[in-house]
Amino acid sequence: MNNMEEILWNYIDGNCTPDEHKAITETIAKDEAYCLKYQELLNLNKEFMAMEIDEPPMAFTYNVIEAIRTENAQQPLKAAINNRIIMGIAAFFVLTILTLLGYALSHVSLAAAVSHPAPLASNLKVPNLNSFLSKPVIQVFFFFDVVLGLFLFDTYLRRKKVQKEIQ
Amino acid sequence: MQSKLSDIALIEQTLAGNQQAYADLVKRHQRFVFTLAMRFVKTREDAEEVAQDSFIKAYRSLSAFQGNSKFSTWLYRIVYTTAMTFLRKRRLDTDSIDDEETYIQIESKASGYDVNNVENKSRSFYLNQAIEQLLPDDAAIITMFYQGEQSLDEIGNALGMEANTVKVKLFRARQRLKEKLERNLKHEAKELI
Repeated sequence: MNNMEEILWNYIDGNCTPDEHKAITETIAKDEAYCLKYQELLNLNKEFMAMEIDEPPMAFTYNVIEAIRTENAQQPLKAAINNRIIMGIAAFFVLTILTLLGYALSHVSLAAAVSHPAPLASNLKVPNLNSFLSKPVIQVFFFFDVVLGLFLFDTYLRRKKVQKEIQ
Repeated sequence: MQSKLSDIALIEQTLAGNQQAYADLVKRHQRFVFTLAMRFVKTREDAEEVAQDSFIKAYRSLSAFQGNSKFSTWLYRIVYTTAMTFLRKRRLDTDSIDDEETYIQIESKASGYDVNNVENKSRSFYLNQAIEQLLPDDAAIITMFYQGEQSLDEIGNALGMEANTVKVKLFRARQRLKEKLERNLKHEAKELI
């Protein structure tokens, strides 16, 4: 019975080869059981096609667009800033620094510096950096780096998972 | 009034910053997306939430739509994953949604409720009742095939299955739907007698 239904559904859906289609058409014409089953499934198919689809609430489109607008408005400043502005600011600073550097270098007299080296001020104290870089400080620094690294890796994986789910 | 532009044209306009174009896309697909969501989550409130989330997700990822498939197929895949995520969250609190027993309970509740207005019922009412009693996957495949006018390949694409698997599932889903329809009609006939 199942086999008959399967064959007939394929026939109704148009999933048969031309040869199969011809053979089934002949069987339906000859075999009464096939003919009755075919009529039954055909009626069922018509009913399935005529099934009504549900209507969402009236304000559905409005709600979707409002949710998108709200989401865009709540976007963090970091994501809302245009990259071009950032690049513009960076270019401005780089250009200023290069100009100042160029100007300074063009006015330095290297010969004078070599012949008369400036004496180091006697009261100038150079801080001892080694005292700050103790073992616990380095351990804390590395621990912080590891935590930060794991956090960023987790964020990256979550974002990738969401992307994968959507696609 | 809905736009006569194609889905692709509306997507291009949306990506260019025209939100009205996306509103037109939503209007065009909302009925089917909502129906599909209903097949998974069963209540209107939940279906509205799933459908809305799906459209928001689609908007966020619109630039990733490459046009290799129909927009509707791509959108139905989002509806499917959104509904699955929704049900997974729900399943933490309730029984398994894939549990046939859960559906038998829903089924018996539905039959009991409808006994009072037997005379108003048409065959399409029983069909809708029967489709509500199917497992979500079965109901979704039938809905996508008949109401969404998606081919077996497109349904497979949306549900992450091979076309042949969809074909087998569609056959079984139709059988189950037929059985449930017959059972509901028999039950109502007994009530009338």
